[in-house]
Amino acid sequence: MVSMTDRWDEAEFEALFREQYARIVRVIRRIVQRDSEAEEICSEVFLRLYRSGPRAAADGMAGAWLYRTATRASIDLLRARRRQQSKEVDENDGSQAEDPAEDALTLLLRQERIGAVREVLARMKVERAQLLLLRHSGLSYQELAQAMQVHMGSVGTKLARAEAEFTALYQRCQRRQQKTPQLQTAKEEGR
Amino acid sequence: MKHTERGLLRAYLDDQLDPQEHTAVEQHLEDCAVCKEEQAALLRHATRVHESLEQLPYLHGEENVATAWAAFQKKQEDWKEREEKRWPLSRRLLFAGAALSLVTIILVLTVAPVRAWAESLLAVFRVQRLTVLQIDPASLKAGELQSNQLLNQAIGRLLSDQITVTQKPEKPQLITDPATASKMAGFAVHLLPDATPSSLLLKSGGGMQMKLNRDRIQSILDEAGRSDVQIPWSVDGATIGVRIPTGVLAFYGNCGDIASRVAAGREQNNPRPVEKGDTSCISLIQLPSPVVSAPQDVDPGQIAQVALEFLGMNANDAASLTQTVDWTSTLVLPVIRGKVNYQQVHVNGNEAALLRPTNGAESSRYTLMWVDNGIVFALSGFGDDATAVNLASQL
Repeated sequence: MVSMTDRWDEAEFEALFREQYARIVRVIRRIVQRDSEAEEICSEVFLRLYRSGPRAAADGMAGAWLYRTATRASIDLLRARRRQQSKEVDENDGSQAEDPAEDALTLLLRQERIGAVREVLARMKVERAQLLLLRHSGLSYQELAQAMQVHMGSVGTKLARAEAEFTALYQRCQRRQQKTPQLQTAKEEGR
Repeated sequence: MKHTERGLLRAYLDDQLDPQEHTAVEQHLEDCAVCKEEQAALLRHATRVHESLEQLPYLHGEENVATAWAAFQKKQEDWKEREEKRWPLSRRLLFAGAALSLVTIILVLTVAPVRAWAESLLAVFRVQRLTVLQIDPASLKAGELQSNQLLNQAIGRLLSDQITVTQKPEKPQLITDPATASKMAGFAVHLLPDATPSSLLLKSGGGMQMKLNRDRIQSILDEAGRSDVQIPWSVDGATIGVRIPTGVLAFYGNCGDIASRVAAGREQNNPRPVEKGDTSCISLIQLPSPVVSAPQDVDPGQIAQVALEFLGMNANDAASLTQTVDWTSTLVLPVIRGKVNYQQVHVNGNEAALLRPTNGAESSRYTLMWVDNGIVFALSGFGDDATAVNLASQL
């Protein structure tokens, strides 16, 4: 896609990149499973901003734009991965390398929990998942309102709704996992 | 007692209220068991979310901004290079938009206006999706209609008396770079990745108003042998505005010497310019949705039915189709059965029509039409169905 009605001043864009990169990549790292993916998404998001021209980030809204686009892209990746995984057996999801001393059972349980969280995020309405992730990343209500382009007075309500949806889906996911322990064991043995 | 809104309670938990609101909620909570319970539920949910998100492993990657910037610059350079390759100086002009523009105008005049009545006051429709209507050629009698002089006179009279051109389309214009094309067309032009257009043309839009005269339209129908189709009285005197926005046409490969044909003027306009090129020719047309405005006091169903019956449907089928189409947002593409093979496919989640002529020599040529985000796309080239859809999906 070409959108070149307006162009960035290169120095201005570099300054913006240097100012925003660390915090944006940090948010993405929480969502995706591999560090290389996080960097790739982050870079892609900045490229999108570059291509969109300075108007996308007018009035000091660059941070908001980047947060919104980065969480959206990361959730899209989660969703794509989820579709893919429904066809393939789960592979390394980034949770394995954290502690080599962790025993197999603890690792399995932890993976299940992480898997459930990602599953829920991928199933939720995207805007709600974005809101939760950005809030968890420490954005204030005012920053959330800017990032998600909503009225500040509605952030509390939206957040409450998103949390309720997350909780309901998470519980459902856990119930399903509890129902299928034998299946899980069988799958493990079959490997 | 009026309970505190959930959003305020939630913001209170996060300490995101201004001091005045904070105190008010705090005081209310002291006395209100209902709100206190609500707040406890909100806290439970918030805690569950927090604990869950905390589980997500934090990837301790490189946070060296300088390294990241260097990597980004590489990506940025690659992108710029691709963009430049995509838009060299165009060598030739083009003209293949004529066919599409004509089709669009015919569509707008025959079928599209009916959609406009569905909206209130000054109704406005914008195309959001596309549907194909297969027409029985036997009932269309296209050849007969063309050779019917009285009919042509009736149509000519209607066009000259009732239509005011509000914006005259200008001659197609050669554009040398994408920025100008996007700027002049007023929308972000989509292009095939990793390919260089051989020609790029801006086809300026047009606008007109048409005052409907029931008697005259009815006389056209009569002359076309469709006296059975009755124009409702409610359309009489209504003014319809049609605006066709500026579109952009991009050609890839060898599409013949389009430049000289366009430069030569109307009589040289070949409706099948590809015949002068070869099978490497790919054309991509993009046109923002035409906009039709009309007063509201006409029943859209009736008008749709007239148009459909005129296109050869029997009254019962026309009536039932009328019910299933959202006339305010659907571009109805009439396709003549037996002349064109039609297949429904998907392009980036949008329903698309894949069309191929049925006669041998031309049947390897596809035309794929879809609507994405208010822009009507038509991609045409030679190849199999998968090639067509893959190419379109890359846009």
